Amino acid sequence: MHSTHELELFPEYKVTQMLFKDVQNAAELRQCAVEGKIKGALINPTMVLVAANKAVSLQKMGKMKTRSLFSEIIFNLSPTNNISEAFKRFGSSDGDDSVLVVLVHDKDEPQLLSDITARVSGRQVPAEDVSTLTDHAKIKKLYKIPPQEEKCGTLLDAVVCRMATKDVM
Amino acid sequence: AVNMSQETSMALQEFLSQAELIKQGAEARVYRAQFLGKPTILKQRFPKRYRHPLLDEKLTHRRTVQEVRSILRCRRAGISAPVVYFVDYASHCIFLEEIVGSSTVRDYIASTRRSDASEDLGWLAERVGQILARMHDEDVVHGDLTTSNMLLRHGLEDGESELFLIDFGLSYISALPEDKGVDLYVLEKAFLSTHPSTEALFQRLLKSYAAASSKSSAVFKKLDEVRLRGRKRSMVG
Ligand SMILES: Nc1ncnc2c1ncn2[C@@H]1O[C@H](COP(=O)(O)O)[C@@H](O)[C@H]1O
Repeated sequence: MHSTHELELFPEYKVTQMLFKDVQNAAELRQCAVEGKIKGALINPTMVLVAANKAVSLQKMGKMKTRSLFSEIIFNLSPTNNISEAFKRFGSSDGDDSVLVVLVHDKDEPQLLSDITARVSGRQVPAEDVSTLTDHAKIKKLYKIPPQEEKCGTLLDAVVCRMATKDVM
Repeated sequence: AVNMSQETSMALQEFLSQAELIKQGAEARVYRAQFLGKPTILKQRFPKRYRHPLLDEKLTHRRTVQEVRSILRCRRAGISAPVVYFVDYASHCIFLEEIVGSSTVRDYIASTRRSDASEDLGWLAERVGQILARMHDEDVVHGDLTTSNMLLRHGLEDGESELFLIDFGLSYISALPEDKGVDLYVLEKAFLSTHPSTEALFQRLLKSYAAASSKSSAVFKKLDEVRLRGRKRSMVG
């Protein structure tokens, strides 16, 4: 159900993504600040990896723009350098019925995963399904992707390029 | 913070020691590896010992930034260039999409001419002319145009092949016809010396550039001037 990927550049870190649908207690989850929660619809597992890798790298250099690794992941997903806008668009909000939980951890931690599952009242679905929630029109608008760019790659390529380079644009 | 960034470069060094070195250049090393689960090309610029360290750092940083900016600018305009996955500004390392199953235009032309001298490469010259016209119309000047800095991936389903531009480390943004003319001059020199007796082929490239660009007459005028200057210089010796 969940998907775990080791960060090749930082092999001591793994990134796990758990996706839940029909979530009843989004507000409660937010309250107890489940680490790194991200709204579906705008994202895809590769984007999360790109964001997490960049967050870990900046954390190690002491150059994060936000206060925690998890807020940094959310910030990195956003096309702009506006932190509150990043949270508005990519953080989960109280009414959400889908929640993607992103964990950054050092080894396989079944306990960590079952803790999350126990806390969410919702239905866990394969993490990869987040792509099926993708709202293409919304993405094109938010990341300002012109139609001709799709001639030289996928929408995901276009988004990843922007995430990876936004600090020097 | 200094220790921290050393820690990152440790991680990078460790990672690179597992990667496959595919090119050791004068300015950069190019590696192949898996990154975020994808086939990736890594390009690391290294310090030049003969330059002042601070100046060197600045120059290297600028090239890294220019490279990713130009890639994004090209892609926005629908010109194929590798996706940028990650940029490590501390180690001047760029992680790019590997164009899997591609060959350089240089190798493609060389092997085609070797195997069948009569095969027409005109279509490829035309494709190159078109892509460069579009790049220049976006005011991207590549700075190091050679047939090694173009990749050709043969189409899987439709048989159409896709042409990619790479290696934007010397690129910059300019609207000046002179800069674009010099860009073409550099390519002409490289093209004709890498691929002997291809004058006609290169003419086809220029012709398709002219057809595809809205600003070609000013650029060609400058190209002529630069050629003349080059010839005069070589006559003087
Ligand atoms: N994105 C890429 N995909 C596949 N091969 C590449 C890529 N970038 C560079 N190469 C190969 O590595 C060589 C050196 O790269 P460069 O120094 O960027 O010109 C090129 O001539 C290509 O054969």
